[in-house]
Amino acid sequence: MKIAYTHLVQHIAENPSIEQVSDSLFQLGHEHEIDGNIFDMEFTPNRGDCLSINGLLRDLAVFYTINLSQEVYFEKLDELLIDFENLSESICPQVSFLKLEIDQVPEIYKDSLDNYFLDLGLNKNNFFTDVSNYLSYETGQPTHCYDAGKINSKLVFHEIESDGDFETLLDKKITLTGKNAVFSLKNEVINLAGVVGGKSTSCSFDTKTVIIECAFFQPEAIIGKSVKYDIQSEASHKFERGVDPDCHDRVLRRFIKLVSEHANIKDMSIISYKSKDNSIHQIPVNVQKINKIIGININEKEYLNYLSKLGFIVEEGFIKVPSFRSDVKTQNDLAEEVARVIGYDNIAVSEINIPNYEKASHKDIENKLRYFLLDHGFYEVINSPFVNLSLEDAIKVDNPLDSNREYLRTNITNSLVDNLLFNERRQKDSIKLFEISDVYSNNNGINKKRKLSIIASGRVGLNYDDFSKKINKKYLARLFQEILPNEVFNFGIVSRDLLDTKIKNEIVTLEVDIDKFSSDILSYKEVSKPPVGFVQYNLISELPSSFKDISYSIKDYSKTQDLQDLLLNYKSEIIKNVYIFDYFKNEKKEEIKIGFRFVFQSQKTTLNSAEIELVYNDIVSQSIRIVGISIPGM
Amino acid sequence: MPAYKDISPPELIKARGALHPINHMKDSIMNLLISFGFEIVDGPEIETEEFNFDMLNIKKSHPARQMHDTFYVENKSNLLRTHTSPVQIRGMLEKKPPLAFISGGKVYRKDDDATHLPMFHQVEGIYVDENVSFAQLKDLIYKIIYSLFGEEVELRFRPSYFPFTEPSAEVDILSKEGKWLEILGCGLVNPVVLENCNIDSNKFSGLAFGLGIERIAMLKHGVTDIREFYKSNLDFLSQFK
Repeated sequence: MKIAYTHLVQHIAENPSIEQVSDSLFQLGHEHEIDGNIFDMEFTPNRGDCLSINGLLRDLAVFYTINLSQEVYFEKLDELLIDFENLSESICPQVSFLKLEIDQVPEIYKDSLDNYFLDLGLNKNNFFTDVSNYLSYETGQPTHCYDAGKINSKLVFHEIESDGDFETLLDKKITLTGKNAVFSLKNEVINLAGVVGGKSTSCSFDTKTVIIECAFFQPEAIIGKSVKYDIQSEASHKFERGVDPDCHDRVLRRFIKLVSEHANIKDMSIISYKSKDNSIHQIPVNVQKINKIIGININEKEYLNYLSKLGFIVEEGFIKVPSFRSDVKTQNDLAEEVARVIGYDNIAVSEINIPNYEKASHKDIENKLRYFLLDHGFYEVINSPFVNLSLEDAIKVDNPLDSNREYLRTNITNSLVDNLLFNERRQKDSIKLFEISDVYSNNNGINKKRKLSIIASGRVGLNYDDFSKKINKKYLARLFQEILPNEVFNFGIVSRDLLDTKIKNEIVTLEVDIDKFSSDILSYKEVSKPPVGFVQYNLISELPSSFKDISYSIKDYSKTQDLQDLLLNYKSEIIKNVYIFDYFKNEKKEEIKIGFRFVFQSQKTTLNSAEIELVYNDIVSQSIRIVGISIPGM
Repeated sequence: MPAYKDISPPELIKARGALHPINHMKDSIMNLLISFGFEIVDGPEIETEEFNFDMLNIKKSHPARQMHDTFYVENKSNLLRTHTSPVQIRGMLEKKPPLAFISGGKVYRKDDDATHLPMFHQVEGIYVDENVSFAQLKDLIYKIIYSLFGEEVELRFRPSYFPFTEPSAEVDILSKEGKWLEILGCGLVNPVVLENCNIDSNKFSGLAFGLGIERIAMLKHGVTDIREFYKSNLDFLSQFK
């Protein structure tokens, strides 16, 4: 909600700066951004009472002297004769109608009303609707204006459950479905209660006689309606959060005053319907309890002073909660009020010591498995559970984000296959992934299983020992045999026939319930350690990579280290990785053959062969300067 | 030349894999909290409305319950938990105070854009004992934030609203760029929630807090797009060793 600083500060005696008001609002818990002179407020859902100038000023009264000089019409009013029936008093326990007739529609507004539209950049509508909108901004109570000439039969408030068309006063045509609280004339919906009025009874630029409806609706009946019908509605935002049920008389008398400042009122009458009296909520005065909750030590006088500034009244040992504060019900609620006034940041800390009691150890087997896989070059992944495939026992999402995410996965392997293909498309030729996750199914009730799933394909590794070995079932079986010799695992092969890939490497998978692993794994001594600190991520390139290999013959063994030092530390913006993929010592020929692979990729552009050649040639020329090594064929 | 005949082969680098950075962050935070005296409790990701909302004092009318915010499954008989708080409820129903639980894991909300994902991770904690106060909650939060971001970090507490805590607060830290960034939500456990779990709220009080793991991982690792965490890109994952 947007609120102009100038509209607030004109009521504050101390005339604080916008920064001072901003600080005060933050201390009170009213988050906002400042855009010029405008506070763009984001209130918590329990503070519907703050959705107005007066509401915010009531809170700011703890820091400043507030002078609310908004005049209201004081004279006695005639009773309005209106044919109205309330068939859903539980939804609308309180509603008032005010009828006004003016002699002429004003063309120019007084500054107080005009500035509202000017300062907030709002468009004007018709006179009565403009007054209604301003009053909602000032008081927090939305009102709705009907053109009195169009209310020509019995007005009924009720909850309907039949589908029907409804055209809003903003010319939007919607189809009402499900339960809706509405005002009707002869069964025609003329107002979607608490959300938006209808076009058929709305005021126009020349409306001179108006019926203003001022109601309290139970938030439960309004919540979700504006989203359901895609209607931007300031009124529903307020009704959803709860408005002050006791404000109708003052609001409508303020309405009269504002109209009277712009036009001559020829006739006016009012009527209120109230199905039950609003009970005043009372909480016993108990400063000890407040001190205990917050961890402070204030005296009762100080405590009650804070509350009285916020509009709470103390009588006979009880704190009476004002009607606009429906969110305050308990001592904890009062403690929050006090804490806000003191300022959360001003409350001194008190040392916490959580007592020692017997606590369960946890997830040892799972963690051992993770580190075992890390030791063998596997990377942990996390996948979304939403899939489009419906297996027999898959759980269906009632309200999926889209048709591709209608079900919960019943296995992890399919996600890992997608991950594998994703990485293969990025020229990865050694892929080893695993995921541990809960997997759910519906088989006579919802079943949960915690599973480990792994997938591997391509080279066993990128070092010279593993480079030419391909991952297969045997490789994985050997790994698991090492730690769990007494257990048999059923490794699977994923056929590439149905996959969108030309790569032929075997895809090996395993998916096992975690509880199938025996505690034998606990004796495994992991090599990998969690990272120390938190590494800074370097943006990855989505551009294609390519590689070049260089094989050397070394006759002078002493130069092997020099070559490694040069090549493994060679710096270039376009070299992404370099490793030794081949090494062979020929004792007979007294020669070492060593192969280096350089992977090229740029952050900025797709590399062309000339750019790669430039770096490659530099590597070659630097390396062959080392005496005792050569590049066969060169 | 003979002097070098016995030269060793190049170091055989056995490449290790890496934990997922979100799980690593979650483990780091959980381990920190364990060192403070918390114990881990686990719960299901598919929950009932009773545990996810009712027991936590979230009214039937609360917007979070709407179909546009919460994923419901199997004809609304269950839902995907929207926070890890129901695990705390299950824990409190099983054990009597004093108790200090943490739970971490996946949670789901019906969001999908550049800054929100339908699945993300939380770690939550609750401590219930006699005389637990807001001032103690502040002490705990300072300890958590200082451990994560260093003692030089500037932080602030803001009043906020959660149905399951009262008073409630959100905690921001000041970034190097001078912007306040929301890091966690916390508060004193609403007595209604304690009573729902058969804990005498006149005798016991509690504190609770919850952290979004992705948010903290993004800050700590300098990741600017949350979606990077879930592409399973080896170029990304291999950086977190």
